[in-house]
Amino acid sequence: MTIGKMLLASAAIACVFGPAAALADTSGKKIALSNNYAGNSWRQAMLTSWDKITKEAVAKGVVAAADPFTTAENQATEQAAQIQNMIVQGYDAIVVNAASPTALNGAIKEACDAGITVVSFDGIVTEPCAWRIAVDFKGMGESQIEYLAKKMPQGGNLLEIRGLAGVSVDDNIHAGIVAGVEKNPQFKIVGSVNGDWAQDVAQRAVAGILPSLPDVAAVVTQGGDGYGAAQAFAAAKRPTPTIIMGNREDELVWWKQQKDASNYETMSVSIAPGVSTLAFWVAQQILDGKEVKKDLTVPFLRIDQDNLEANLKTTQKGGVANVEYSLEDAQKVIASAD
Amino acid sequence: MNRLHLVFARPWIWSFIAAVIVWFATVLVTGGAGALGLSHAALTFAAFSVIVGLGQMFVITLGPGNIDLSVPATMTLAGTVALKLMDVQDGMIIAGLVIAILLGIAIGIGNYALIKLLRIPPIIATLSMSFIVQSTAIWANRGLRIKPPDMLASFTTSSFLGIPNIAIVAVLLSLAAWVLLERTIYGRWISAIGQSIFAARMTGIPVDGTRLVTYTLCAVLAAVCGYLLASFSGGAALNMGAEYLLMSIAVVVIGGTAVAGGDSNIPGIWGASLFMFLVVSMLNTYGFGAGVRLILTGLIILAVILAAGGRKVVR
Repeated sequence: MTIGKMLLASAAIACVFGPAAALADTSGKKIALSNNYAGNSWRQAMLTSWDKITKEAVAKGVVAAADPFTTAENQATEQAAQIQNMIVQGYDAIVVNAASPTALNGAIKEACDAGITVVSFDGIVTEPCAWRIAVDFKGMGESQIEYLAKKMPQGGNLLEIRGLAGVSVDDNIHAGIVAGVEKNPQFKIVGSVNGDWAQDVAQRAVAGILPSLPDVAAVVTQGGDGYGAAQAFAAAKRPTPTIIMGNREDELVWWKQQKDASNYETMSVSIAPGVSTLAFWVAQQILDGKEVKKDLTVPFLRIDQDNLEANLKTTQKGGVANVEYSLEDAQKVIASAD
Repeated sequence: MNRLHLVFARPWIWSFIAAVIVWFATVLVTGGAGALGLSHAALTFAAFSVIVGLGQMFVITLGPGNIDLSVPATMTLAGTVALKLMDVQDGMIIAGLVIAILLGIAIGIGNYALIKLLRIPPIIATLSMSFIVQSTAIWANRGLRIKPPDMLASFTTSSFLGIPNIAIVAVLLSLAAWVLLERTIYGRWISAIGQSIFAARMTGIPVDGTRLVTYTLCAVLAAVCGYLLASFSGGAALNMGAEYLLMSIAVVVIGGTAVAGGDSNIPGIWGASLFMFLVVSMLNTYGFGAGVRLILTGLIILAVILAAGGRKVVR
């Protein structure tokens, strides 16, 4: 073998192993996902995204394992026990979507004390030792009113569909909507119902309040309830208002039909279930020794009139519009927090 | 006066009185404009509660401790699997209904097998069953919403002579349940078992067979309701049955069926189902926040049960 060939070969080897070497620090690390609920399409998509991205990462040797665990009953006590099991099993990092912002703090503190990196996302925890990838739900509510203010500057009556009563996400989105209405007093909330983020519950609640409402110009929502609202308006034979959607496939399909038939205009905003993969990469970066701020913010996934078709194409039939995050996306989110 | 007395002695009358009062209170706000729309919506949504309520009523009639907590999971699984099987084809509507009913039968038999063979109390047995069923539903299609066939969707959402088709289906099922309860030997048997399981056994009633049939009936009704609800709301969702667990029990109790068993009441289920829908609409119309709304709902339900239950204190 000539010197030249040897040089070429070592250069090739360096090329193959070069990028991996930068990540080699975490190749022996094990990450666990502690998830509190799997009973709706958003959570199912979240778990599927986790599966897809982490399997690739494990196959490439970025981490040794990334195992998802879901509790059966959506109970904080059960999830606390689950986290304690993970501590015993020797995971290096725990990524958690928490049943409660405070009830898990004890178990999370134990994990931190055992030297485990804890990253909470979507359902975040208040324990200071954990990282938080939070959604700006208030901003999400406000953005709906801002959109409406641009679309119908003359204002009008709003029907608000809220989520599950007593959950902080519901309060935050609602606070954003109220703040938006205060800034744009030409809008007036004439009715408010709880749709529990479920199509059939929203349909039922809207059908019940509609007979008592004056003309409704727009419906502000929290996601998962737009199609049900549209059905209720149709059943009551009332003109279809501008209904803000929440990125579900059935909502987008309905929107597309209305757009084709009558040039219907609206927008759709929610959080991509793939946020679990963002949390995974953030945990990996922390294990890798990167400096990461404790509080990070997830970008919204917003769909507008012009990118509706493109998003519809990539959304699974019956699922939720989704994006999976890459290592580079995570690094961008980390950098933007500095 | 005497006749009026007779009417008020019927426990089901209270749920209807409550429903009518709440209806008026809601319509009053709108100045009478929404009367028709509200009644139409109430009939539509009450129908779903009636269908699951009927099944739960038969089970509760069996006596203390008998309850079926697998209702929501059964609805979800039946809705999911039936819609997946039909896959938007009108020709498969009957096949979808058949698979929903078969699933109901299987779940009902499973429930009673747990209760009888493993000697688990019904509340635990049906709860464990609901975990199995819910997980199967998740596994079956990962929470994806498949649209119902067009013919079925338009049937469930349209009306005949101004009455929602769904309500007509619920009335027919109620009539069948009434015949079953009042005019067949099976109806006598479940009442007898509910009043005293020991005495029923002594008189030679096939207690196990009757209970098996009752749990199966309840699961089948839940499955049919899931099939209809999924078609009505444009697709099955993994959490679609969640509302109907407490609802199925509440409409039975408010409707005047004895919680202790042995005494069931079909008209009351209708009154209670209409009432449950209307009370939420009323409180929404008056613009109460979720917290106040839930408290008031609880208080109003308590008041109706107390009014209807006056008779039982004497017993």
